[in-house]
Amino acid sequence: MPGKTSKQYKNGNQNIIHDYTQISASEPIPGTIEAVSARLGEIFSDCCDFITREISCGRNGQIKILVAYINGFVDKRVLNQDVIHPVLNFLSGTELHEGSCIYERLKKCVVINNDIKEAGDMQQAVEGILSGETLLFIDGESKALVIGVKDPRGRQVEEPDSETSIRGAREGFVENLLTNTTLIRKRIKNPNLKLEIMQLGKQTKTDVCICYIKGIANEKIVREVKERLRKIKTDAILDSGIIEQFISGTRLSLFPTVGNSEKCDKLAGKLLEGRVAILCDGSPYVLTVPFLFIESIQTPDDYYDHAYFATFMRLLRLMALMVSTLLPGMYVALVSFHHTVIPFKLMITLAASRQGIPFSPFIEAILMIIAFELLREAGIRMPRPVGQALSIVGAIVLGEASVAAGIASNLMVIIVAITAICSFVVPPLIRATMLLRFVFLAAANFFGFLGISFVSVVVLIHLCRLRSFGVPYMAPFSPLTLSDLKDSLIMVPIWAMLTRPKILRQENARGAKGSKRQELKTRP
Amino acid sequence: MEKEKISGIQLFLLLLGFLFGSTVILGPAMGAKNDAWLAIILGGATGVLLMQVYVAISLLNPSKALVDILREKMGKVAGNIIAILYIWYFIHLASLVLRDFGEFICTVTFPETPMVVVIAIFAFILVYAVNSGIEVLGRLGELLVPIIPLVTLIISLSIITVRDFTAFLPVLENGMSPVLKAAFNFVTFPFGETIAFLMLFPHLNKKDKLKNVVFLSAVTSTIVVIIVFFRDIIVLGSDLMSRSTFTPHLSSLLIPGLNIEPLIDINLLIGGGIKISVCIYAAARALSQITGIDDYRKLTGAIATFCVVLSIWGFGNVLELFIWSEKVWPYYSFPFQIAIPLLLLLLSLIKKGKSPNAGTKK
Repeated sequence: MPGKTSKQYKNGNQNIIHDYTQISASEPIPGTIEAVSARLGEIFSDCCDFITREISCGRNGQIKILVAYINGFVDKRVLNQDVIHPVLNFLSGTELHEGSCIYERLKKCVVINNDIKEAGDMQQAVEGILSGETLLFIDGESKALVIGVKDPRGRQVEEPDSETSIRGAREGFVENLLTNTTLIRKRIKNPNLKLEIMQLGKQTKTDVCICYIKGIANEKIVREVKERLRKIKTDAILDSGIIEQFISGTRLSLFPTVGNSEKCDKLAGKLLEGRVAILCDGSPYVLTVPFLFIESIQTPDDYYDHAYFATFMRLLRLMALMVSTLLPGMYVALVSFHHTVIPFKLMITLAASRQGIPFSPFIEAILMIIAFELLREAGIRMPRPVGQALSIVGAIVLGEASVAAGIASNLMVIIVAITAICSFVVPPLIRATMLLRFVFLAAANFFGFLGISFVSVVVLIHLCRLRSFGVPYMAPFSPLTLSDLKDSLIMVPIWAMLTRPKILRQENARGAKGSKRQELKTRP
Repeated sequence: MEKEKISGIQLFLLLLGFLFGSTVILGPAMGAKNDAWLAIILGGATGVLLMQVYVAISLLNPSKALVDILREKMGKVAGNIIAILYIWYFIHLASLVLRDFGEFICTVTFPETPMVVVIAIFAFILVYAVNSGIEVLGRLGELLVPIIPLVTLIISLSIITVRDFTAFLPVLENGMSPVLKAAFNFVTFPFGETIAFLMLFPHLNKKDKLKNVVFLSAVTSTIVVIIVFFRDIIVLGSDLMSRSTFTPHLSSLLIPGLNIEPLIDINLLIGGGIKISVCIYAAARALSQITGIDDYRKLTGAIATFCVVLSIWGFGNVLELFIWSEKVWPYYSFPFQIAIPLLLLLLSLIKKGKSPNAGTKK
């Protein structure tokens, strides 16, 4: 699949603009400071945030040094204290030096900062400058010092809005990649926690970090993730959502095969189960793969509370998932086809409430569901202070007035309300259920319960076909993995969870006694 | 293709779904009236034996499907001819089940809908399932088949209040012959039909489980059918029972204060669906092996279309279908289900006895 994507991009994507600042792969750093300065000025022409400073030192000012960085990226106080000041001291206080000697000494004993790398050519130097490092060019040197004095300013670590929980850590990821990796490392103090970095996006050159625990994560999956990431050919990675779409492997599916989370403790848990995380600089949403169906009804709270409650909540969530997809369709099927199934007394009230309504149940349901989806969308898009007004409009106009005006029946309002509530219970599948609801509605309108069963079977076949990075989507139910059922719908207490999920680690599971042997395939 | 593997439990559930198939709406062995339970036990026991014959054939020819076995044991020409007959048989079986399904839906739920619409949509979905491969079919079975006994249990428990426990008496009122006849019917429908699974057995990941899996599924389905029979007869009585078309549906209508008619639909959808998909899969696989087409998926669409057409044109109405299934089907399927498999078993045993000697000589 990813191969196909890249091909498509080669042919069709207009976004890839020509790279004007042509720096060939191994353009050497010019020998003199003047030349370096001129070349940098050419590359960074019309960039008001680009700053260079030339320092001349030594007895006759024959030792020249050029400092280059992007304004705003760099903590200037630290730069002055740790780099400029010692360098000036060193150069003015000593005898005349040979060039190479200056370079080595600057690197080894003058610059106070710890994060020092070398740039061997112009491309590396420019990339360093662009990612916020400070470059130190020395006259007559073909190498430059890359000094990391980044200003770590950014959003503070705070509780994520998108995922709230009652128990558990309140820390959420932020936009800064380094802060995020620190948050993970703080929870898993283990050198086996590997963080591999790569740059993606032709124009944006975004840092993307693959995170996994060596020895727990399946090597095949890690390799597959790297492979798929490497195949991404695009201009811009602005958010992890873009990566998600590129690597998901099932582009036509409604169901997500890549998970995302903003919560550190949740992510740590996923890593410890053997999943692979993908962090993207500039996005607080961290991706986890493989993502299975069962994960959408698991929450981090489950593990911090008593297993009885967790089991109950999970069953409730599954029920909510079904209700939110099926209920409007069921209602339409009952009213239009299967009157006999409805208990007689309810039938009377139902008939009474539907009296005088000009629309068929199907149209009525569609109208009300669309009205609700509009309300929801408006609630997300509009400025926060207006929210109150919207909820009043939604509650009074759509709830009360539509019934009074004879557009919808009382029962329909209840149905849509229950559907809406249920749909918020399982956030990862909210989009899938939203669309499936309409499909089920249509099926119910044409074929009643039979139509609903037909569509459910098709959805089930689709779910059974689906794989996330080679792992069957409906695991552990199908294929049935008995030991993994401990953390599925029914959750056993945490002290009884002795093994990690087998399905994620098939290479080990193969040798284990009584385990299932499954070929790890990556099917598009 | 051969790399696709299903686990023991998946095969068990597929077999169970296959055996339930249309039996869940038709109520087998009805010819014996209130002695049907005897017929079911007799037929069940014979069915278990018959299925063990299939298992033995598969075990004697490891990792070979029906077509390969036929060609190996009977020579290429004869083997191919018999294999083609088997393909016809699978297609016919699928079309019969499709017709059962269509009749049920069009009699009970949607009297005004043309049957071809119902059948065609159903077949379309099943082609999707079959094309997803045998692994997906197995996983689907894991999710869906447990629903059938569950629904049966719910219905049985709900009508436990409406009862006449003596309804199955007197025993053997008409002598032994109707019982034996019904038992024979029950062997051919559904047990003998599992001959289609000879195309699936090679996919099982652990060969040593095969015997137990097949045995358990046959026993389980017999027990469920007996429970269903007793439920129906104590609820309906033998007279009403022998006159009704879809007995389990009728008895589910008797649940006081509640109508769970659609649940029966679901049962049929699952059981029938698995039966038809297995048949289509078997036919497509067999045909692709005979013709040398690399991927059976290219043939499923055509075979399913043929099944739909056959199911519509095969019979004029539901009574014709039932009489045909009761009177002709057992004898029609006798060679496919019993004669040829027994011959195959014999040939396999002979070859097995010979082969060690032949091996040493060479």
